[in-house]
Amino acid sequence: MDKIAKQRLSENLKQSVKYLTLVFNDFFILALIFLFGALMFWYAQSMKTMPANLWFYKPLVGFIMWLPLLTGKLVTLIKKADMQFLFTQDEQMDDYLKPMFRYSLVLPYILIILLAGILFPFATIKAGINGYSYLVLVLSMLSIKATELEIAKRNLYFGRRINVTVQNISALILAVIATYLPILILAVVVVLNICLTPNFQPVFDKKMNVKTVFDWRYAVESEKARKDRVYAIFSMFTDVEEKQVTIRRRKYLDFLLPKSLAKENPNSFLYRRSLLRNPDYLNLLVRMTFFAILVSWLVQDWRWALGLSALVVFLTVYQLMPLATEFDSNIMYRVYPIQRGGRGKDLIKAINTALLLQWLLISIFWLIVLPINLHLAEAIVVLLVFVLLVTIVYLPQKVKHLDQRR
Amino acid sequence: MTLKIEHLTGGYTGVPVIKDINLEIKPGEALGLIGLNGAGKSTTIKHILGLLRPQKGSIVLNDINLTQQPTKFKRQVAYIPETPVLYPELTLKEHLELTMLSYHLDEEKAWKRAHELLKIFRLDDKLDWLPIHFSKGMRQKVMIVSAFLANTSLLVIDEPFTGLDPLAVANLIDLIKQAIADGKMVLMTTHVLADAQQAISNYAVLNNGTIEVIGSLTDIRQHYGLKPDDPFDKLYQTLNQVDRHG
Repeated sequence: MDKIAKQRLSENLKQSVKYLTLVFNDFFILALIFLFGALMFWYAQSMKTMPANLWFYKPLVGFIMWLPLLTGKLVTLIKKADMQFLFTQDEQMDDYLKPMFRYSLVLPYILIILLAGILFPFATIKAGINGYSYLVLVLSMLSIKATELEIAKRNLYFGRRINVTVQNISALILAVIATYLPILILAVVVVLNICLTPNFQPVFDKKMNVKTVFDWRYAVESEKARKDRVYAIFSMFTDVEEKQVTIRRRKYLDFLLPKSLAKENPNSFLYRRSLLRNPDYLNLLVRMTFFAILVSWLVQDWRWALGLSALVVFLTVYQLMPLATEFDSNIMYRVYPIQRGGRGKDLIKAINTALLLQWLLISIFWLIVLPINLHLAEAIVVLLVFVLLVTIVYLPQKVKHLDQRR
Repeated sequence: MTLKIEHLTGGYTGVPVIKDINLEIKPGEALGLIGLNGAGKSTTIKHILGLLRPQKGSIVLNDINLTQQPTKFKRQVAYIPETPVLYPELTLKEHLELTMLSYHLDEEKAWKRAHELLKIFRLDDKLDWLPIHFSKGMRQKVMIVSAFLANTSLLVIDEPFTGLDPLAVANLIDLIKQAIADGKMVLMTTHVLADAQQAISNYAVLNNGTIEVIGSLTDIRQHYGLKPDDPFDKLYQTLNQVDRHG
């Protein structure tokens, strides 16, 4: 089992590196350096002017240190086929999970240590936590993460499970208290960790899970949910072939669909529904629109808001392009007498509607968050012209290119 | 008005899976395609549906050649796959609407027929559901309803009984019988001969990519030297021996 675990971890690492290389491309790294630099500059400037020892500083340190605990769920890499082929290996699952547990610690530990370094000046100078206590606080955070993963491991067996929300709230409370009493919290967490080890099972036999019967169904579902979350993050930047989407009905959006079938053809029928119900596309639209509104609010300048929102609109179109060939892998799409020749026009129509909706939402929020003047009205019109240019000039070219590639 | 398959040779790569297949189905006729796993039944069907390009030969339905006029050809073919293939983003109602749009059906008449079919398969109260959340049997029923709704001259049915409850099997057999009586052509692959023979009397035995015999089950039993009352699994045992020893 140990061998299987290590082999899977190595494959998983390879896959993660593949996607991380695509995510952290040159442009993204450059943008990150700028953003991080700006954030650090703001932090350094604020440190000079910020008053010291305000009452909420310590809870704030606890809260910030708690944030990386939300990352790095237990990686199990359990597959659906394991329910069939490893079904008899319940007793060996502990061996399988040991390397998984260690692997799962890496990301949150890096984030905790990185954040602890950044937060160090604020915690020691402004919040008044001495260096030694701060070190113990960081160790407490590391131990809390290890305990959380140990609980996640135990939750994979039949028996009483500890809810993730309960774990998160408890971790937040411990993190905040740790800023006042770090040694006590570290001691509590270490004792808790020891009690969770198999040697202490008799004490917790009735309350906690006893490692006997592995809950395969739960393990498969929780790993699938974890992977979906990871793929969802990667897919914000690149195409993820392994990603499986969960379609939702979203009846409340049906008003955006034509009422009569006479106004439809098979391709537009499919494209419109996919845009509204496939979370890949709908979430992208929502996320990008929200991002445009957020940056507009942050820059508080119509010129920057216009430029950045136009960029967001362009990126939205770019990321919606996989919709063009979405149904090609469906056998019934190829068996049905559906004309594929003119489907580019149907795709453009569907995306155009989505972009106009995006423009409308951005414009409404501009009127709310930006100073209202004639320039803002001009910016709204210019953004509309840009949306139309994208759909009239850029999109047909892109669709033509996709058709040629196919 | 016939389906004519002449000298069809094809497969997935350069190596042919099916070799020199010749079949003809006339209106009001049904043909069962039988054979062991890997004999070439699904490959033949994929060729008829235009999912694979023939290496040799032709497929013509009602004088329309599949290679020359694929969309016109497909408008006369409805397909029920072995494993239900649905659009995750469409409701049951929208699957039927897509069928109506694709096959250019009259909406009013089509809905009348759709409601009849939905009632037969007990799906009439699930129109607004996403069928991807249905059980396998129910998803298969969606495929059956969509195929019969299309009202085409040829019905291609691949292992239709898998996952269906006995009542749905009986309903499907009745629908196939009705389609044949209405002058439609039916091509069906199946291993469940006991059910299939209620609707289909003519069969083609595919073995190792070629058609060995076409005829009634009695003719086929006779061809392989079996007694008329021998069970169907004996036929498959014989096919297995023929496949192994040539």
